[in-house]
Amino acid sequence: MNAVPIGRVVATELKPATPHQFHFWTAIETSIGIGAIVKVEGGGTGEEGRVVYGVVTEGFAYSDLATPLHDVVGAEGDPARAADAPTARQQIRYWTAAVLRQTPEEPLQPVPLGQVFVADDADVAQALRMDAFLYSATPTAIPVGLYTSAGRDAPVYLDADFLLGPEAAHLNISGVSGLATKTSAVEFLLASIFAHFPGHKGRIAALCFNVKGPDLCFLDQPGDLSDEDRRRYQRLGVPAEPFRNVRLFAPLKADGVNLNTLRTHPDLVGDVEPLTWGLQEVVDFAEVLLNRDDIDAKADAFIDFLRDRVLGRTFDDGFGGTHRVQTFADLDGFFRSIFDGLEITAGGRSDTWRTHHIATMRKVRNRLLNISTRCKGLVTDDGPSSDLPWKSFEDRAVYVIDIANVDPLGQDLVFARVVSKLREQLERRELGVDAVVVFVDELNKYAPGDGPDTYVKKMLLDISERGRYLGLVLFGAEQFRSQVHRRVVGNAGTQLFGRMDMDELATPGYQILTPATKSKLATLPIGELMVRHPHFTQPIFVRFPKPPVLRGRDGVERFPPAADVPFDEAVVRQLVRLDRRVRPNQVKDLIAEREQEDVRRALAAARQKRPDDAFAYFRKVLGARVEPERHGEREHHAVPPLNPISDEPY
Amino acid sequence: MNWWKPLIQAGAVPGSGSKGEEPEAAERAELVEDAELRAHEISAESRVPPAVSFLNGFERWSVRAYDGVIPVVEAYIAAAVRRREGRGGLQAVGVRQRSFAVAALDRMKPDLRQLLEHSAGDIEPVDGEFVGQPARYLEQVETIVRRARAHVERELAESTLERLGAEAWLVLDGLLSRSPAVARHPRALGVIKSHGAQFLEGRGLERALTLPAGHRTSVFAVRGGHTRTETYSWYLRLWPWEGNDLLYGLLRIEARAHPDTIARASELSGWLWSERAPLATPATRWDRLLYPLHQVEEYLKALAPRDVLQRASRLPSLAS
Repeated sequence: MNAVPIGRVVATELKPATPHQFHFWTAIETSIGIGAIVKVEGGGTGEEGRVVYGVVTEGFAYSDLATPLHDVVGAEGDPARAADAPTARQQIRYWTAAVLRQTPEEPLQPVPLGQVFVADDADVAQALRMDAFLYSATPTAIPVGLYTSAGRDAPVYLDADFLLGPEAAHLNISGVSGLATKTSAVEFLLASIFAHFPGHKGRIAALCFNVKGPDLCFLDQPGDLSDEDRRRYQRLGVPAEPFRNVRLFAPLKADGVNLNTLRTHPDLVGDVEPLTWGLQEVVDFAEVLLNRDDIDAKADAFIDFLRDRVLGRTFDDGFGGTHRVQTFADLDGFFRSIFDGLEITAGGRSDTWRTHHIATMRKVRNRLLNISTRCKGLVTDDGPSSDLPWKSFEDRAVYVIDIANVDPLGQDLVFARVVSKLREQLERRELGVDAVVVFVDELNKYAPGDGPDTYVKKMLLDISERGRYLGLVLFGAEQFRSQVHRRVVGNAGTQLFGRMDMDELATPGYQILTPATKSKLATLPIGELMVRHPHFTQPIFVRFPKPPVLRGRDGVERFPPAADVPFDEAVVRQLVRLDRRVRPNQVKDLIAEREQEDVRRALAAARQKRPDDAFAYFRKVLGARVEPERHGEREHHAVPPLNPISDEPY
Repeated sequence: MNWWKPLIQAGAVPGSGSKGEEPEAAERAELVEDAELRAHEISAESRVPPAVSFLNGFERWSVRAYDGVIPVVEAYIAAAVRRREGRGGLQAVGVRQRSFAVAALDRMKPDLRQLLEHSAGDIEPVDGEFVGQPARYLEQVETIVRRARAHVERELAESTLERLGAEAWLVLDGLLSRSPAVARHPRALGVIKSHGAQFLEGRGLERALTLPAGHRTSVFAVRGGHTRTETYSWYLRLWPWEGNDLLYGLLRIEARAHPDTIARASELSGWLWSERAPLATPATRWDRLLYPLHQVEEYLKALAPRDVLQRASRLPSLAS
């Protein structure tokens, strides 16, 4: 080979070379460091042709100094004089490397005592076993970043079969907050997936929950990229441009017209779609609204009763009233009728109604109606809902749901419903895409290792354990991996690590890492990650370019959020968004002196209908009292039950 | 109470040590600086030359077989020069190695002699008169090996001096006077750490042996080596001897016999004084061994064949 060796394998009785580890020395001035990939070429009888790839996991430097005391004596106790010594002591740079791959793989033998070379692009592909999915007839390689150690610049790929299923799936990323690595890494990786998702695997979309600040609110806006970043994009074959198809959903504020998001700048707010749900959408996830103490057989039975017998049907309450419950307002009326019936008609002699105790009914009523108060804006008392485009998800589209400013209970509800719908529609192959990446940040909050078994945690576990068969892929992020449920992180086939806190690195999950690797992790710069992937036998460090989109912080600086606008102005904006021909003054004149509730219902109806002439339709439905939209007989799709959380290891 | 403590309290200098080097024949020295031998403080403002080559040699030998009572010896000698540019590490710039056999060829059995000549190639003969006297025979082997090493060192020193830079120096371990060419070179120094040969006597000897650290003696002329080439020499104390023995940290320096040497003796001593650090540990005579010369020796050990360095076990072999 023509390459110049940078080191030589050495082995002693105390530190021998093994099939999984070897040691080598280099010149004092060397380009390699922790994380560098090297190649050992065997020589001599019997080992001709054996090539071993390894990654540097530890480094040592020492001199021939027998004891530190001798240095003190030589400098006569004065550290300043130590530097005056005319001769530098003999030193060594001694490295430990973990074996990534041996060729031939059998028989597996100790690493030969050969010359050590820096790995080039082809060597990196071999070392990380990427050749199998990079050069196959149907390649499944997804670039994750550039291996940049030892002065090299080699692309590193993940196997889509192991990142997005079906072989393995899911990705988990850990790292301290504030270094713009976790979110950036996911944004870059989504861009990479969209650019390289193999055609034979079908269509893919991403759904991101924006749970803090403006993090994911500007994925359609270009960010500032340096020339170096652009070069890296070119090297990785990923377009350095923002996502072309982004749809952002945000609930309304309590006023029912202003959007509850930080993307309210006049230039951008028109692209934000309201996310509002009514009773129909909420009731299937009533369990989410009940806390642990509430969950009992009686409450479950009553909720089932409501679902099966009451909601969406004409129902006789037995006290002379007939109900057709389709909104929270209807539900409130229904409960009032029953309680009044028990109090007045039955004379307060009975505590039960159709075998359900009044206390149980009151508890369920309070929980259900409470959501419309706590999450006002997300949940509407009445009127039509505005939802994600179920059954028509588009290929390479990113759907962002901004729930950063939503009550935690509402966040749980959004998460539970959206993921359940995804799962349900992916199972039936009717979502419009074959795979969906769901990005959830703050897993420490949503799937903690300890604490109660919440509905959301159960859902995350369910995705982790069964999602890969459906094409439902979880990209989770958190600050402290050790504090996330072990089966959620354990089922993630691919794991990324940004800069880590030393306390976190001291936890048992990181014991497999050498002190040097931990030290590198604790000081990792922005844009660098440690990657673990099923094909990589050792963790690999990669550098990824800045994401091609506007970061949340930069976004709110460039597009400062607008203050909430008056009611009539907000109505105008929403109608203009539906139909550019709408004239603001016409709308303001029309809604002057009208009840806001009526206007909201008319607006919601127009949003849902999306008529050609939005103003005409709005005027028509506002002309008379807008009746809550009546759905046909409610088609109830039961959500498959979740597996209870067991203590089985993953 | 130890009986010797009152002596120290009464003014005796504390010391330690035991039997030291084997005494050699007394040599005659002629003082060329000062009327009588004095202690001079070395120059504190001395300059380390920009480039210095350090030369050291290495020898190992071991009996490998017996033809009757005739020991057949395997010897390995080597010498190397490692160069230092500025203040930094050492780089090897010259190496000479030789592996050879030593045996009393004319007294060996013909078939074994033929076999030895065929397989060894390079053989140094031992005079047959030593056969039958194992101690003298091995002493003669020692002399032959040492002479061969001196030869290799001399050749390497001469070739090094031929390409020595204008401001570069050569420092070699041992006598400068082995080679007239080396002994007369203006930028060559010999550093002698063995003091078996005694050049001084009387008050001068006492002053030399009790030289304080950081001092040198007056320069004197000596004739050394088998060429008897004259060189100028002086003693230099690197470390305080008090609490140790009289030779602790004591070096004898050789330079060319030239008035310039006398003029620069304090300056050169200051340079060598600065070479005290780093310490040449773990060498047992680190107090007199300059670290770069120690490094050359370590380098030679690293180059030496492994079996040469291994000492055979003296435990009896168990019969199988």
